[in-house]
Amino acid sequence: MSEFFQTLQADFIKCFITKDRWKLIWDGLGSTLQITLFACLMGIAIGLVVAVIRSTYDKNGKEMRNGAAKALLSVVNWICNVYLTVIRGTPVVVQLMIMYYIVFASSRNSVMIAVVAFGINSGAYVAEIFRSGIMSIDQGQFEAGRSLGFGYISTMLYIVFPQAFKSVLPTLANEFIVLLKETSVAGYVAIQDLTKGGDIIRGATYETFMPLLTVAAIYLILVIFFTRLVSILERRLRNSER
Amino acid sequence: MNDNVIIRTENLCKYYGEKIHALEMVNAEIKKGEVVVVIGPSGSGKSTFLRSLNLLETATSGKVYFEGVDITDPKVNINIHRQKMGMVFQQFNLFPHMTVLKNLTLAPMKLKGMKAEKAEELALRMLDKVGLKDRANAYPSQLSGGQKQRVAIVRALCMNPEVMLFDEPTSALDPEMVGEVLQVMKDLAKEGMTMVVVTHEMGFAKEVADRVIFMAEGAIIEEGTPDEIFSNPGDERTQGFLKSVLNV
Repeated sequence: MSEFFQTLQADFIKCFITKDRWKLIWDGLGSTLQITLFACLMGIAIGLVVAVIRSTYDKNGKEMRNGAAKALLSVVNWICNVYLTVIRGTPVVVQLMIMYYIVFASSRNSVMIAVVAFGINSGAYVAEIFRSGIMSIDQGQFEAGRSLGFGYISTMLYIVFPQAFKSVLPTLANEFIVLLKETSVAGYVAIQDLTKGGDIIRGATYETFMPLLTVAAIYLILVIFFTRLVSILERRLRNSER
Repeated sequence: MNDNVIIRTENLCKYYGEKIHALEMVNAEIKKGEVVVVIGPSGSGKSTFLRSLNLLETATSGKVYFEGVDITDPKVNINIHRQKMGMVFQQFNLFPHMTVLKNLTLAPMKLKGMKAEKAEELALRMLDKVGLKDRANAYPSQLSGGQKQRVAIVRALCMNPEVMLFDEPTSALDPEMVGEVLQVMKDLAKEGMTMVVVTHEMGFAKEVADRVIFMAEGAIIEEGTPDEIFSNPGDERTQGFLKSVLNV
């Protein structure tokens, strides 16, 4: 038994202490969090815009008078649909490589490229989450806002969004967790994220157990921590109603 | 045109597809200070008519004039005019994520630029009138149906509207709560508020209405004082309807 712990200790020193290899994990964690955070913000921004366009079209497209506004909405809605279809229909690794090798071929700021790629990818999923939230709000809420004299956007802002956000929060949190873990493919485009950091250690030390399980544990801890945070937020939002 | 007319509809039609004619050439006038009650069997278009008045329902053809302005004109900013037309819904439609007080102050603050203290003072005074001052900090889910509807009425009144539209305000209520809501509406009528009320409460129509409009199949069949309509209906559809609602 003590022999086992001694090997473990030796492995640990080899993998993390020697040559300051822990820095690979630490820096990788930094990149992973950075990419996840900014991609998430970007995804929410894109998702919000796409969701508003799509739900506006779903709700009012048929009722609208023919004219410039209707034509514009139809075109924009069509663009959103193409975006959703393409992004959800192709693997995120491929999208990431397209961004890296084709779209931003002249740039070598790979973290920025990853943020854009993951942000655009996440936006498609967030858009559908938000849209389902907006559509789940009773039409009467919307009419009540309009009847008081609020415009379309103000009604969305003050009345529909706050309620929709509350109802989609669990699904949105799930999307964030998926995103965090999906960034582990960033190594494909020469980004040294958490997974890549562990993998470099594996390559340098020929140890598999220690680096991979450490990386897995760090992801797990991040997800558990984040899940806790969301359930606290959820409880607080629910409290405001009772 | 008579200055006293606040809302006038001109050949209002609403079609859903080819077959369904929800409104068929409806011409109506609402005068200032008048309480008009719209009755009729379900599916007669009375709710559609009411909702067309503030353009929650866009008419297929025809015009709606509010204070002399054709608000069906796409160039008109409808939001400005809606501020002067309060609306009360069958399903209350209070904002569930806000307290009663927030529900009442939201529109006056955001749309009229009223200061928070002034808006709250106004809201509390109005709440007091309907006996709900002590519920100001409750959330809608904590209120009874009757309380919700009274709050909904106050929410519309806080915008100081020229006219109030009621879309079956008591139809979703438990019977014992109908009275409290009707009382608020009666008080409002006494204060001289212009009201258009779609309702099945014939007692309210008899007692409070200045004029009763009977609709069927998307058209106005007849209109007159409550006396004329209830004691001496001209059209046989009116007679049939009144028989079925009054002789239960």
